Amino acid sequence: MENNSKSAVLYYSVRPNKEQEKSLLDFVKSKYGDDCALKLVSDISMKDGFRLVCGNDTYNWNKKSRYEQLKKRINEISASADGNIIPLIRESVENWVPSVYAEQVGTVISVGDGIATVSGLDEAFLGEILIFNGNVRGMVLSLSEDKLGCVLFDSDGVVGSGSSVMRTGKIAGMPCGEGFLGRCVDALGFPIDEKGKIEAKDYRPIESPAPEIKDRQSVNTPLETGILVIDSMFPIGRGQRELIIGDRQTGKTSIAVDTIINQKNKNVICVYVAVGQKASSVKSVYETLEKHGAMDYTVIVCASAADSASMQYIAPYAGCALAEYFMNKSEDVLIIYDDLSKHAVAYRSISLLLGRSPGREAYPGDVFYMHSRLLERSARLSEEKGGGSMTALPIVETKAGDVSAYIPTNIISITDGQLFLETDLFYSGQRPAVNIGLSVSRVGGDAQTKAMKQATATLRLDLAQYREMEIFTQFSSDLDDATKEQLKHGQRLMAMLRQKQCAPLSHHAKIIYLVCAKEKCMKNIQTDDVGKFLCDVVVFAEKEHNDLCERIDKSGTLTDDDRLIITEIAEKVVNGYVEY
Amino acid sequence: MTGNIVRLEGSVCDVEFAKGALPKINEALIIKINDKQTVMEVALHISETRVRCILLGQGDGISRGMAVESTGNTITVPVGEKILGRMMNVLGEGIDGMPVDKSIPRRSIHRKAPGFAKLNPSVEILETGIKVIDLLAPYPKGGKIGLFGGAGVGKTVLIQELIHNIASEHGGYSVFAGVGERSREGNDLWSEMKASGVIDKTALVFGQMNESPGVRMRVALSGLTMAEYFRDKEHKDVLFFIDNIFRFVQAGSEVSTVLGRMPSAVGYQPTLAEDMGSLQERITSTKDGSITSVQAVYVPADDISDPAPATTFSHLDATTVLSRKIAEQGIYPALDPLDSSSRILEEDIVGKRHYAVARQTQAILQRYRELQDIIAILGMEELSETDRSTVARARRLQKFLAQPMFVAEKFTGLDGKYVTVEDTLRSFEAIVGGEADNYPEYSFYNVGTIDEVYTKAKKAE
Repeated sequence: MENNSKSAVLYYSVRPNKEQEKSLLDFVKSKYGDDCALKLVSDISMKDGFRLVCGNDTYNWNKKSRYEQLKKRINEISASADGNIIPLIRESVENWVPSVYAEQVGTVISVGDGIATVSGLDEAFLGEILIFNGNVRGMVLSLSEDKLGCVLFDSDGVVGSGSSVMRTGKIAGMPCGEGFLGRCVDALGFPIDEKGKIEAKDYRPIESPAPEIKDRQSVNTPLETGILVIDSMFPIGRGQRELIIGDRQTGKTSIAVDTIINQKNKNVICVYVAVGQKASSVKSVYETLEKHGAMDYTVIVCASAADSASMQYIAPYAGCALAEYFMNKSEDVLIIYDDLSKHAVAYRSISLLLGRSPGREAYPGDVFYMHSRLLERSARLSEEKGGGSMTALPIVETKAGDVSAYIPTNIISITDGQLFLETDLFYSGQRPAVNIGLSVSRVGGDAQTKAMKQATATLRLDLAQYREMEIFTQFSSDLDDATKEQLKHGQRLMAMLRQKQCAPLSHHAKIIYLVCAKEKCMKNIQTDDVGKFLCDVVVFAEKEHNDLCERIDKSGTLTDDDRLIITEIAEKVVNGYVEY
Repeated sequence: MTGNIVRLEGSVCDVEFAKGALPKINEALIIKINDKQTVMEVALHISETRVRCILLGQGDGISRGMAVESTGNTITVPVGEKILGRMMNVLGEGIDGMPVDKSIPRRSIHRKAPGFAKLNPSVEILETGIKVIDLLAPYPKGGKIGLFGGAGVGKTVLIQELIHNIASEHGGYSVFAGVGERSREGNDLWSEMKASGVIDKTALVFGQMNESPGVRMRVALSGLTMAEYFRDKEHKDVLFFIDNIFRFVQAGSEVSTVLGRMPSAVGYQPTLAEDMGSLQERITSTKDGSITSVQAVYVPADDISDPAPATTFSHLDATTVLSRKIAEQGIYPALDPLDSSSRILEEDIVGKRHYAVARQTQAILQRYRELQDIIAILGMEELSETDRSTVARARRLQKFLAQPMFVAEKFTGLDGKYVTVEDTLRSFEAIVGGEADNYPEYSFYNVGTIDEVYTKAKKAE
């Protein structure tokens, strides 16, 4: 179709003379074929120079475009220079010859609500980044016969109907590199912490296929969170995806942040992706991490509530691309998506605006695929692929404790387990408020040290039974001794699992806690004193039996003798307490 | 024949061909993106020169005008004994690091269901070694079995336990289709099968949740085609596992609106019942051989009345319903004894004794369910003597329904147990009959037969 109507249009402010016109026609013919005609149109809006448009290509020859070229050239030079750049600038300006090159330019047909439809740009591909007026970026989401659909990443104020659009030829991606550690960036990789430019070593597309089945290996190395209830009963392994789910204000983010803090000196790189959060909450996460020296190995990717829905939509993919960069370098990475329910909401608004039909809860049909392809990118790579890993802790917020809503169940069915946090537990003082019955870790046992496995044993099943018994017996007055004993033991176990924020437990401390529980060393301790008692046991053990602690940490095993020693220590400490 | 891309949205694209050169519906087309081949399948003819296709891969990097090659064929997969021990994708390509031999015969994944005259419904019980299933919802040999459950109640673990118990005992061949589930599970299953040696008699086909909807829509058919060949040509009794059939429906709904169809209830495709029917009717036992299929069915948002699981129900011979409430109590497999059912739990099929024990068990559990509200308000003391003993037995039964599983050894730290149907009947008879009333409740939890209850109780003393 467009082959027949081949003609070039020259827009000018001052009509070219005959000689110029002839050379322009020669150029057009050599580039677009002999049958191409040249039409001259006067454009009074142009101040100087001319603009040649043929098909998709546009050649700009005016002062403004030359300034742009010069600016670009200078930018390129100063980026690679270290030290004295003045001579370099002088040299580059002196040697600069302005050139003319074709740019593919399209036109905005309509724009609004962060969505733009564009005509032209025939060769644009799905997922490509386009540049609009005022350096606004957008991404191609659909191609149809005569137009393409785009989402805009910035506010659409400066982009208007009829304004021009340029291709970049680059698929949406994220710059990556070690320079990102300790930094806070937006979903396109630009720093937002005013600490200067970040040097990128690589550029990875935000969407990339998950590792294949044969390139994976099973999860078998623990990633310790430092939180007793998790490490003992719902252990997380490197390469696992464990969902943190619960109502607002139940301590979801705290678990994630505590986990990051506990990775200090453990060679784990952390990526914290904030989606649709209050900017101030992200800032306080940043400050907490900074305070505990955890920013050295952490990157924060932030698309706050103020950012456009499209930015919020791509942020997790961008964070994941960054994490993949490290994973492919054989590093162990921990990525936190906080939170995916807001991500789903952002995607819902984009897809409704694009006119796709709504399904359950008005989410589009592919909302599952959106999360599954993101979370499947977490893996433990096989040794041939370098053995790196990406552990993901996605966070999902529920409404009124309803885990069986659409997005929560979708994500539960993707992840390898979930930690369910409950408001009731939270306010009754049982913090971290993990519901033991509903939480699970499917990769579990494989990713625990032998010592932890022995010490934990059937703790989870015991507690589940305790809870059931507690409900069953709450109105019964005459309980037999065995039942009373079981209930009392259960209460102490629950007390043991309470833990303060930002206070990760070391491996040996957790083992000591669990051995005390298993050997029922706490049976004569008041429930309220359990925390203090266990703390004392650990302090005593570290002071008197440091070799034991070190042995447990190093070898990850627990011998019968060790267990005896721990029981003895506990007994000594018990004697310092008042019996009741 | 070559055509060109004219439109692309999500994983659906329109391709323009010359007049008269339009590929047929279901034909496979090939597009090259950056030297990588991606296959698409024709779904609709939208005009004399245009077809609408579903991509079996990622659309990133596709631009308008790209050339598309028609193959003249539907998607085919390799069949026969040579595929045993292999792990393949939806197109029948090896994903275990080895190529699939070109000389292996191939079959189209689109086929008709066997005719009425060929069908051969069966009435024999298939022992699973899992107490609660064998007693309350026994599986028929050559039947279709569905495992329903919401997210995280243990469908995959149960299906793996069934593979462990049945596939390793069963002499015939097995086909496993992984549809839209976790890649990690694929890896775990593959290594586990290699370790146990079951892999030599099994073909694995995967299209997991990281893959495009087109793949997830077709991978169940790829697996089924392999199973059908064993049944039809080699006259075998085949075990066919699908994890998870819901993802097949879900993938269909993801592409449905982009294909230009109006959405039906809850946003599903209007063709939901036909899609499911044409797949399920192919999974059947004929006079040539049998296919026993075990299908996991995900229940979205724990809503069993959702159109997808609801449509699946009518196709099944036995349904096993897993419940979150039971999982919460730490009872695994978290099978709901009152919601699960089987077509063959009838006196003349399973026998008088089995039938009686099963119905008595259900009656006791049903009574306990009714009494639960009263207990919660008034306490146990207010119940009559008979009700109290019913409650005591029901609680023992409930705990006894829990069974340590082989594939869950690493989570629970308990050794797996296989219980024969005979042992199951004997054990439940003892509890229902009141012989075991005097043993403490906890001794019924996570054991195999009734004998283990007795030893566990003695040990505790």
